[in-house]
This record gives sequence, structure tokens and C-alpha cells, in this order.
Amino acid sequence: MTAISDRQMLAYANAQAADGRVNLEFETQDGMTLNLGPQHPATHGTLRVVVKLDGEQVVAAEPVMGYMHRGYEKLTEVRNYPQVTTLVNRIDWLGSFANEVPFILAAEKLMEIEAPPRAQWIRTVLFEMSRIANISLFAGDMSLHIGALTAAFYAFRDREFVLNQIEAVTGGRFHPNFDRIGGLKDDLPKGWIADTKAAMARIRDYCDEMDQLVTGNEIFEARTRGVGVIPADIALQYGLTGANLRASGVDWDLRRDQPVGLAWDQADWQVWTHPDGDSFARFWVRLQEIRESTKIVDQLLDGLPSGPVMAKVPRIIKVPEGEAWVATENPLGEMGYYVVSKGGLGPFRTKIRTPSFNNISVVPWVCRGVYVPDVITILASLYFILGDIDR
Amino acid sequence: MGLVESGKLPKPLTSLLNTSRKYSIWIFQWGLACCAIEMGAALGAPRYDVMRLGVIPLPASPRQADLVCFSGTVTDKMVPAIRRLYDQIPDPKYVISMGSCANCGGPYWDSYSVTKGVDQVVPVDVYVPGCPPRPEALLEGIVLLQEMIGKEDMAERWKGEPLVVR
Amino acid sequence: MSPLSSADTDAEATEAVETPEVDEAREAVVALFREELGDAVLDHHIRPGDDLWIRVERAAWRQAGFVLRDRARCKAFGFLSAIDWLPSPYGLGEDSPTDAPPEPDTEIVTGYAGGDTRFQVFARATSHSAKLGVTLKTDIPDDDLTLDTWLSVYAGVDWHERELREMFGITAIGHGHLAPLYLPGEFEGHPLRKDFPLLARHVKAWPGIVDVEPMPAEAGGADEEASE
Repeated sequence: MTAISDRQMLAYANAQAADGRVNLEFETQDGMTLNLGPQHPATHGTLRVVVKLDGEQVVAAEPVMGYMHRGYEKLTEVRNYPQVTTLVNRIDWLGSFANEVPFILAAEKLMEIEAPPRAQWIRTVLFEMSRIANISLFAGDMSLHIGALTAAFYAFRDREFVLNQIEAVTGGRFHPNFDRIGGLKDDLPKGWIADTKAAMARIRDYCDEMDQLVTGNEIFEARTRGVGVIPADIALQYGLTGANLRASGVDWDLRRDQPVGLAWDQADWQVWTHPDGDSFARFWVRLQEIRESTKIVDQLLDGLPSGPVMAKVPRIIKVPEGEAWVATENPLGEMGYYVVSKGGLGPFRTKIRTPSFNNISVVPWVCRGVYVPDVITILASLYFILGDIDR
Repeated sequence: MGLVESGKLPKPLTSLLNTSRKYSIWIFQWGLACCAIEMGAALGAPRYDVMRLGVIPLPASPRQADLVCFSGTVTDKMVPAIRRLYDQIPDPKYVISMGSCANCGGPYWDSYSVTKGVDQVVPVDVYVPGCPPRPEALLEGIVLLQEMIGKEDMAERWKGEPLVVR
Repeated sequence: MSPLSSADTDAEATEAVETPEVDEAREAVVALFREELGDAVLDHHIRPGDDLWIRVERAAWRQAGFVLRDRARCKAFGFLSAIDWLPSPYGLGEDSPTDAPPEPDTEIVTGYAGGDTRFQVFARATSHSAKLGVTLKTDIPDDDLTLDTWLSVYAGVDWHERELREMFGITAIGHGHLAPLYLPGEFEGHPLRKDFPLLARHVKAWPGIVDVEPMPAEAGGADEEASE
């Protein structure tokens, strides 16, 4: 409780301004520079966006990333295949099971092993459940960023039911590490199918609640309609994928268009697109996708084939030489692994193509001329996970 | 508060102050990575509600916080921001390190860009292990911290050094 | 680490028996590239029904991008990155610290569609209409780590080329703003090169080797293979 002299205060302000990492430039002829992040409630983690402003309008916006760069591609080179599976869960940390799948499929492709049908179906079910876990949080999170706090609590509450089910099977709410080369680690526990169907019904109720609370709300619509429009050709140029692409009107879903052996073709579901390409479209498409995922899970659980969940694989995994690329429609977009193998215990090089990296690269283009609160809306609607951007 | 610094507070008053402090913690959630989601579930979800312990999340700024909970991987690029925000929190402040990445680098212990533990940057009071720790584990960490605060000697904490606002 | 369930120690992997088929769509794409670029197409590899790799000369890299986007109609950009084919001098790091280190392997063996150099840049784009994707590769000589930028081909390659510069040291000429993407400004070195060591592994041996204890049921020693 000592007093600070004016001289000390001035010295402090000057020191802060001189430090390039925190911008305290006051309004000049060129406009003001505002620094959003890296610690900011609205940036889904440690993303820093430096925006140059002219009054309230954004002249230029540049994301600065790397605050969560953990060096995944280098780490995969010094680990063996089961260890990489453990590590890779944590890239998109909300939809964790979905991260393991393309890597495992790439290794299986090189080893020319096919997992038994029951394993492929259960993988698909868990994949869709991780999609639900991920995107239901998105719905609450985007509402939180727009200002509707209540929706976030509903998201956390209803997500718990899905996480319970994932935990009942895999043992972990997050980071299940359940997929193995050749199948799955274990079979489903007794009573799981009935409980999961109840959870899916619960999620459908959650979607209806979101519709009532958020989608038709005029403040939400005013803040999201027409904000951050991304035309389809720009989206393709930047490599946007997932719901961002479908919200711009492009009818492309890897589950349907580039099948990888999982069981999506065994269920009857549709791909949702929206012609507008604005933030509202991205929110709306994802909400519909949650509903579709619940339908897929219900159908697959009804027709689950019996049999083993693991193919015969050697105890020590050595993947033969070759290169393989597998991409799947992850909750955030198209996630792919380019695995280069030289016959060793671990991959020689893994290129991890993450959806959020491309999704966020469009931010400098899309944030020109919008207002500062719209930057938050656009970031929220593009929906990224920092681990996915930075790896 | 000269009484506190010079250690002249009577015991019952100290324990009263400690009790009131430990049940009114304002937690600054420094969510970095996956553990941030579990921390969010602990703090914001109705199931693992942390407010029943007297801990409220979401202070308006670090300057109003008592406890900071680092959850997730700390990278070398992030360290200056961590140090600056930690310095902005006024004393008495407590630090919980949540998750194995914040404890010791975790699964990325050999990475070229990860700091092996947040305790290389700030002093930590409670370590919560797990990857990620369940929300109940974080709640246990908070309860442990509350026990620590309850037994604290306030004179030890303020040894007469001037409070510096950074 | 639990053992893989239902795995026998000397079982064989199930082979998918496939008759080699001719993948017409992908053969057509290769023919298209050869028609546009001529001799600049050095090699190609097709996994029938699955994927396509084409290796082009470095001088024709940007033109190959235009062929990919416009003629092959791969409008959806995937990614651009590089592979360092030098085998790592440090190994997996799971070797026992008491044994002599294995002889480092210095021979550069490249993968599909061949290659003559240590570094190869590869990129991928997808065609929605034909439902196929193409991986383009090109060699980068060691003494001249540069490449034409693809910024005029796909606008989204911006950050990928920055990452290329930062992780491998390969510069994309014409990009104009190759600032570091992930790492703090003071970082030295290019992490994804194979000769960049992960120092934590050198300072401290991988603890898995040290702590392997026999299971109570096994009277003998620990597993010889280093899986924990």
C-alpha cells in the first residue's frame, strides 16, 4: 500500500510501450494498434491477434500464433507408433478420439491391415461422439463470445453426458487413447448402447434449446448475419474445410466423398450447407451437424456387427516402408496425416495437416473493414482450437 | 497494515482472517491448453461447481485475482506474458499448476519449444497431476490450497517488504 | 502400456489381396501434367484407387501449381511442407544408455516418385469434382534452399511457406513476408531438420529404459523389446 510517484508511473508506462510484445501505441495519424491476446477470454486459448484500427474499423488484422507450438512433427519422429497415438490426441483437444483415427488409418494402410467391421463401426460411433462433444461446446462458446452467457452453461452441462459415455468405454473423458493399429483397445461395456442412445436424445434436446435460446435471437442475428462473409472460391483458395466450407455453400464432406473405411456409408444422413458464408451460417451448419451426428450414432448402434475388435497384429509394430495420406472429416475440418515410414518402430516424418491452421489463415482477409466486436464474432464462428493451429 | 507485518496479531484474529481469505478466493483461470477445458468444466459447469468451495471464477482483470491456475502447456514464447500477468496480481497470491504440462512439461518434455513446467517461471503452491486432471482433481487441489491458507502465518507472508506494483 | 489385445507374438498381419488395377482418373491427371510441363515431370507414383504422387522439377514448381489448380481442377488447397530425407543421427532415443550407440545411417533414401536431394518440398490439393487429391513433390538442392512461391496459385499457402522457412530453412522467393510463425524471434536453428537435436533427450536418458521392472508373475527379466 505504498504510493507510487508520478515519475514511477511514467517510467512504467514508457517501459511497457517500449516492449514490443505489448502494444501501447496511442492514437496517431496512422490509427491505433490493438493487441487481442494471447491471454484473452475470447481467443479459445493462446491466440494473439494484432489489429490496426482506424477509429473502430479494422484496417488490418494479423494473427500471431506459436504460443502453443509444442513441436508435434518433431516429436513424432522420436516416438514409436503407440506413443504417437497417445500424443496425437492432444492436437484438437476437444474432439480427441477423432485425432487418433487418421493416423491409425494411415499406419494401417501402410501395413495393409484392415480392422474388423465391429471395430470400424465402433470407431465411427466414437468419432461422431467426439464430434458432438466438440461442436456442442462450440455452440455454447460462440454464444458466450457474442454475449449470451447462459448458453455456455448448457453446453458444459449437456456435454457431460457425452463425455460420460466416452469415459465408460475408453476410461478417459478427454484424450481417450483408445484406437490401436488394427482395431480398438477394448470392446463396449454392458449397457453402453442404451445409455448412449439416452445421451443422444439429450443432445438433441440441447440442440433444440440452442435453437430456442440463440438461433432466433435478434441480437445474435444482428451480430452474426452478414458478418465475415467468405465466398466459396476464397474459402477453397485458403484451404478452409469443415463446416466453414459448407457454410460458404460448398457441398464437400470427406465422410461421404472420400471414404476411408469407417462406417459412415452404413447410416443414412445428410450433409448440411448454407449459401450465405457469414458467421450465422457457420453457426447454423454446425448446429445441424450435431443433430446429424446423433442420428448417425443411433443408426450405427442399432446395426452394430458382432465380432472381434482387434485384428491380428504383431506385438511390436513395425510399419513397412512407404508413404500414406489419410484425411478425415474431423469436428474442426479436414485433418490429415501424411505418414512417411522407413520400416522403423516409429514414423520417419509425419506431416500433420490440421484444419484450424488453414481456417485461421483467412482471418487477415476476412477481417478487413469490420468493427472490433465483429473480429470476436468472426474468430468465434471460424472455430479453432489452438492446439490444432500450432500443433 | 503494520500489525500484520510485525506479527503482533493475536492468534484468533489470524485464524479468522485466514478463514475469511480462504473462502473468498477469486481465481484467475490462465487456461492454455486441454486442461483449460477441464478447468472450465470445474469452474463453470454445474456438475463440478467450484463456487460451493467459495472460489469464484472470472475476475475482471488479474489485478483483482487472488489465485491463478495455470492449466496447459507452457511454451517458451508464452513465458513473458505469463510473467507479466503474474506480476500484475497483487499479493497475497497463490499459484496452482494444473496438469502435467504445467507441472513438468508433461508429454512434451523433450520438445524444443516447451518450458518444462511453469514453476520455472513463477513459484507454485499446489501441483495437480493428471493429463488432464479430472475436475474433481482440481477441486481437491483447491481444497488443499485452502488448508494451506488456513494454516498460514500472515506475518511470514508480509515481512515488511514494500508492496511493488508492476 | 497395455499389450495389444488378442495379439499373438508371431501372427501375421492380414493382407488385403488386391489385383493391380489401372486407375484411369489418376492416369489421366498424370497425362495432363506431362502434356503441360513436358520433361519437367520427373516421376510419378500411383497407388490404384487411392492416391497419386507427381515429382516435378524445381524450375517448373510454380507452373505446376497452376496446372494443378486450373487444368487438374484441384481448387481446394491442402498443405505445403517439406521432408528431410536424411536419417536422424540421433535415433529414436530409446536405445539403452549403457550400450554403444548404433552406427548412424547417412544414406539418403527417398520415397514415392523418387528424389535426388536431401530436402523435398511437397504439397497437396484436392479436386472436389473428380474426388481425388494430388501430391506434388519437388527436389531442393542443398546449396540453394529456395523455391518459387505459390502465393499466386493459392492464397492460403502464405502461412505454409512461412512455416517452411522457419522449420526447414527453405525460402519461398517472392513471398515477401517470411516472418517466423511459431517460434520466438530469438530462436536459432530449423527444428524439423533431422540434424536438429532434441536436447532434453540428450541431457536425460529416456526413463522408460531405466525403470522397466518385471511383472510379479514373471520370474525372469523384463521384456527385451523396449516397450513399457
